[in-house]
Amino acid sequence: MIPRTFSAIAALLVVALLPSAATAHKLREQGVVVTIADSALTVAPPRDWNRLDGNIGKHVETWTLDGGQLNDLTFFAGIEPGKPLVRERSKKREPLPRFSASTLLVELPELFEATYRSAKELADFRVTEVQPTRFLERDGVLFRYEYVDPDELTRKGEAHAAIISGRLYMISFDAPRLHYFDRNIEDYRRIAQSARLP
Amino acid sequence: MRALFGLMAAAVLCGAIISVPAQAQERSAVRPGFVLPPQSGKKILLLRPSVRVAEQSTGGMAEPRAEWTDQARENIDAALAELQRQLGNTVIAAPEAYGEDARRVAEHQALFAAVSRAVIEYQFFVGNRLPTKKRDNKAGQFDWSLGPDVGKLPGADQADYGLFLLTNDHYGSTGRKMLQIVGLVAGVGVTSGVHAGYAGLVDLKTGDLLWLNADGQMGGDVREPDGAMKRVRQLLEDFPGSAIPKEVAVAEAGPEAKP
Repeated sequence: MIPRTFSAIAALLVVALLPSAATAHKLREQGVVVTIADSALTVAPPRDWNRLDGNIGKHVETWTLDGGQLNDLTFFAGIEPGKPLVRERSKKREPLPRFSASTLLVELPELFEATYRSAKELADFRVTEVQPTRFLERDGVLFRYEYVDPDELTRKGEAHAAIISGRLYMISFDAPRLHYFDRNIEDYRRIAQSARLP
Repeated sequence: MRALFGLMAAAVLCGAIISVPAQAQERSAVRPGFVLPPQSGKKILLLRPSVRVAEQSTGGMAEPRAEWTDQARENIDAALAELQRQLGNTVIAAPEAYGEDARRVAEHQALFAAVSRAVIEYQFFVGNRLPTKKRDNKAGQFDWSLGPDVGKLPGADQADYGLFLLTNDHYGSTGRKMLQIVGLVAGVGVTSGVHAGYAGLVDLKTGDLLWLNADGQMGGDVREPDGAMKRVRQLLEDFPGSAIPKEVAVAEAGPEAKP
């Protein structure tokens, strides 16, 4: 009874706070170099994007064109060893896998998959392709994936990642397989190409 | 009982410290330049509505209820059969889909739901508009699409437009309703139940959304024939070229919000 009551109170607080919290999405203008999540990582978007308000992680931010449901571009800008990719809802009850000092490039798709499965409560996630690439002028990994959300929509995704000075840098893009992924995948790739880390 | 007092105290605290601003919320929109006069000679393909009914636990989790869903589907089908004649233009029912066709229809229904949610969240909810969409609004834009693959849906070659309908209802359990009452006493809004309904007209050549009526809290208990009729009327009340009269008093929240 008590845990259920606490959950209900938490839900009540969330409901009460939502309308006043979600009002500060920011424009990311075409051609203007911006830093990501207060890190040294910068990108120069080749078209206008929206940075979604919301705190999903200390070194994480999400951009979109039409809403997170339809195009989700997420930056992981220097995840430290011992930390999960995104903020955990509950460290105790819903722990997320952690990036560690011993994580290898080839293990990053697996870390990403485990994080997505847990954070988005997915039953169906497949990494469809993994290949070496250059990202942020270092050796990196490129991987593609596909998953079905609880909203029963199949989404496709692509991510570029590298481990630099012991920290994880990654950019991912996912969108519904129908129409939206193909329409904007090149916009994502141009952002990934524009990414710089001194 | 102790838990209930704790809950009430928390609700009172919330009411005292939080003031939720009333935000303007739009419910429907038409793509600029789109008009559909009555008897235009255009054909509308009516896709089988997506109907879901679940029970909402105290914590807000949805547990699907098959018998409610079956009842709601039957009621909504009956209401549609009656109202579609008043839509002002020729309506044809989409053929039964099997195999790959059925999968394609289901995926498009899911995409329509996702687009509708994005429109509600980032365009209809004025205080939460995306900066790029704000600029679009200034130019009178309503630019959303399901993409040209809608042209491959069964029956699409026989029609000009596709009509997508979706209802998703979560009826509050006794515990959830108690939480709502506690919230009411404390002056904090706790929704008991979800009553979402989306109706959208799509250009079957381009996939562009031409008209959308979408709301997260609609009226009418879809488990009852009268309620389902009310819901379908509400979904189609602004349909371009329609002769369906507007509901006189539209419920602001779900049916359970009423005493």
